Amino acid sequence: MVELPGVLGEPIRFVLNWGRRYSLWVFNFGLACCAIEFIATSMGRHDFIRLGVIPFAHGPRQADLMVVSGTVTDKMAPAIKRLYDQMPEPKYVISFGACSNCGGPYWDSYSVTKGVDQLIPVDVYVPGCPPRPEALLHGILRLQEKIAGEQSGLGGVNRPDPLAGAGVAALTAPPVRAPE
Amino acid sequence: MQDMTADSLREVTVGTGAGLAPGAGDGQQLGADMVLNIGPQHPSTHGVLRLKLVLDGERVVSCEPIVGYMHRGAEKLFEVRDYRQIIVLANRHDWLSAFSNELGVVLAVERLMGLEVPERAVWLRTALAELNRVLNHLMFLGSYPLEIGAITPVFYAFRERETLQAVMEEVSGGRMHYMFNRVGGLKEEVPAGWTRRARAAIDEVRRRLPNLDNLIRRNEIFLARTVGVGVLSAEDAAAYGASGPVARASGLDFDLRRDEPYLAYGELDVPVVTRTAGDCHSRFEVLLDQVYVSLDLASACLDRVDRIQGPVNVRLPKVVKAPEGHTYAWTENPLGVNGYYLVSRGEKTPWRMKLRTASYANVQALTKLIPGCLVPDLIAILGSMFFVVGDIDK
Amino acid sequence: MNANGVPGGGLAKGLAITLRTMTRRSHTQQYPDVSPELPPRSRGVIALLEENCTVCMLCARECPDWCIYIDSHKETAAVPGAARPRQRNVLDRFAIDFSLCMYCGICVEVCPFDALYWTPEFEYAEYDIRDLLHEKDRLGEWMATVPPPPAHDPNGEPAKEEAAARKAAGPVAS
Repeated sequence: MVELPGVLGEPIRFVLNWGRRYSLWVFNFGLACCAIEFIATSMGRHDFIRLGVIPFAHGPRQADLMVVSGTVTDKMAPAIKRLYDQMPEPKYVISFGACSNCGGPYWDSYSVTKGVDQLIPVDVYVPGCPPRPEALLHGILRLQEKIAGEQSGLGGVNRPDPLAGAGVAALTAPPVRAPE
Repeated sequence: MQDMTADSLREVTVGTGAGLAPGAGDGQQLGADMVLNIGPQHPSTHGVLRLKLVLDGERVVSCEPIVGYMHRGAEKLFEVRDYRQIIVLANRHDWLSAFSNELGVVLAVERLMGLEVPERAVWLRTALAELNRVLNHLMFLGSYPLEIGAITPVFYAFRERETLQAVMEEVSGGRMHYMFNRVGGLKEEVPAGWTRRARAAIDEVRRRLPNLDNLIRRNEIFLARTVGVGVLSAEDAAAYGASGPVARASGLDFDLRRDEPYLAYGELDVPVVTRTAGDCHSRFEVLLDQVYVSLDLASACLDRVDRIQGPVNVRLPKVVKAPEGHTYAWTENPLGVNGYYLVSRGEKTPWRMKLRTASYANVQALTKLIPGCLVPDLIAILGSMFFVVGDIDK
Repeated sequence: MNANGVPGGGLAKGLAITLRTMTRRSHTQQYPDVSPELPPRSRGVIALLEENCTVCMLCARECPDWCIYIDSHKETAAVPGAARPRQRNVLDRFAIDFSLCMYCGICVEVCPFDALYWTPEFEYAEYDIRDLLHEKDRLGEWMATVPPPPAHDPNGEPAKEEAAARKAAGPVAS
């Protein structure tokens, strides 16, 4: 993260944030029901291109915003982490729907990750099961407000990595036996 | 096809002369075989199906669908939820045909309990199930051309979807997950004037559907990409247990709505759309023609609803318990035959509820269809199998 | 290969559609500027009418993923003229975790005293997942947005509110 000189900082920050919030190239991590509502939002009736969200990112490497829509399973989790890591800074994540917020209807399932925020940092949580397209638009507006207020330099904002403390070894370690 | 490598691992195995005997591994060729993973996150799989391909240049040698990326253990969760709570989870496994999924569950429970559903509820259910079928098909009618390069149809498809979703939302409150079925009928009566508005929406969709139809059905590029590609014979379709539009496009003339009528289908004349070619284009055509059929059926049902008076559900005790026993209910879901095997020990939760889902059987045919085709054709074939990943993995 | 056999016919048809669509009004909804018109049954968020709640816990028990949290205590009030003081439940906490809620409406359906209502509000996305747990004050604020339920189709049974009102009006009305 590059520090900006104090005098120039404020105007440049404003311009950077302004540019970032209205050109969010979105990468749809469509997993389940919510992905259909995401597609509905990108279609003519709701049309989030009006808000500067551009759904033509060819992949994570060209995207600024990842919308995780749907149930994250433990089998899928490594792929999500990997695709998130492929995205260039600054990057934002919207968790769309109950399943990706915290497991939702499947919170007591053996195979479902209890929320995508266990894997990657999430900026905006949109509640709903599935949320209606307007709710996603509202989530995008909230994200844009957040970006506008960001105190970031050229490299974006550093976010805590939910997996940082755990480390890979802890995730792949065999289960610990309870003391007799 | 640019982003085929969104998250694909690329493994290249290079043969080392005499060290590798021909046919040693799993029948792979000596020399350079490329193992290409398509998925689990890939734009053309509209979901998280992963295909492990062995390629010889541009040609696919073998294909193994790897399922389970969307496995959410719904069947296990059913065992700790009562019959009303099950409906909530049941409509989420195939998220494009939520109403039909709810229907299968309540039909199974009603059959086990020996419940008679009021006539008005039966006709309303039939109408809503057909509207749900249209919604499901419109999604695929939009996404399939999109996957093979035609962008416009999806806009038309979603315009119609929004029209019908507004109708469904007015009656049930949900755009996708309706939660409108209950054991013994429907949740509540429809709002006054709803049947009129629903009929108007159906008429509007029917009027505007030719926009989509004329655009894509005989489009030369679309024909070039789909005609003769991915031919599934009727024998193979039957052998793999394929059903629904996929099987009917191969000439397997089987539709539960006509062959083993449930709901009010017995009193309706259900025209079954079939094709014989079994290629991607005929699968698409079956879907397109079914939309017209379903729109007609839905408006016929609404006409009946208007003539029937009475309640839409039966009064049940607070705690619904299915008697001990087991039953199997199957329905013609938009994507094919869905079966619900319910085993009850007389408690308020089922002892076991097994789902037989259409998509799971349909994608099995991929192992037969894909080997020998080119990679670009693979996308066309994959899209034309019309599956929902949640329906595969449950 | 196309229907009329003219090469490039498909292209011409496509361009004709583009031209025709260009002259039409778009059906885009201008959401942040114009709020959408939602049907009264739309399941957006659950509002709580606190006065009606008797802490019977039915909603918390019937919820398919148990996302309702209720705390209460008993209060005894001496009623003049009664032999024994009356006990009643007082609601201390009523919270719904909207990150977990699956919007099925079972709680609204089972509530015997009509304390829970659906409202079509949907604008409550948050930056922190903990803020999605809404306490009874917030749930009560949403009561103002609850729309009146739609009248039922005359062919079916009337709504229970309607039936109750008719009963209250007595035989004079009928």
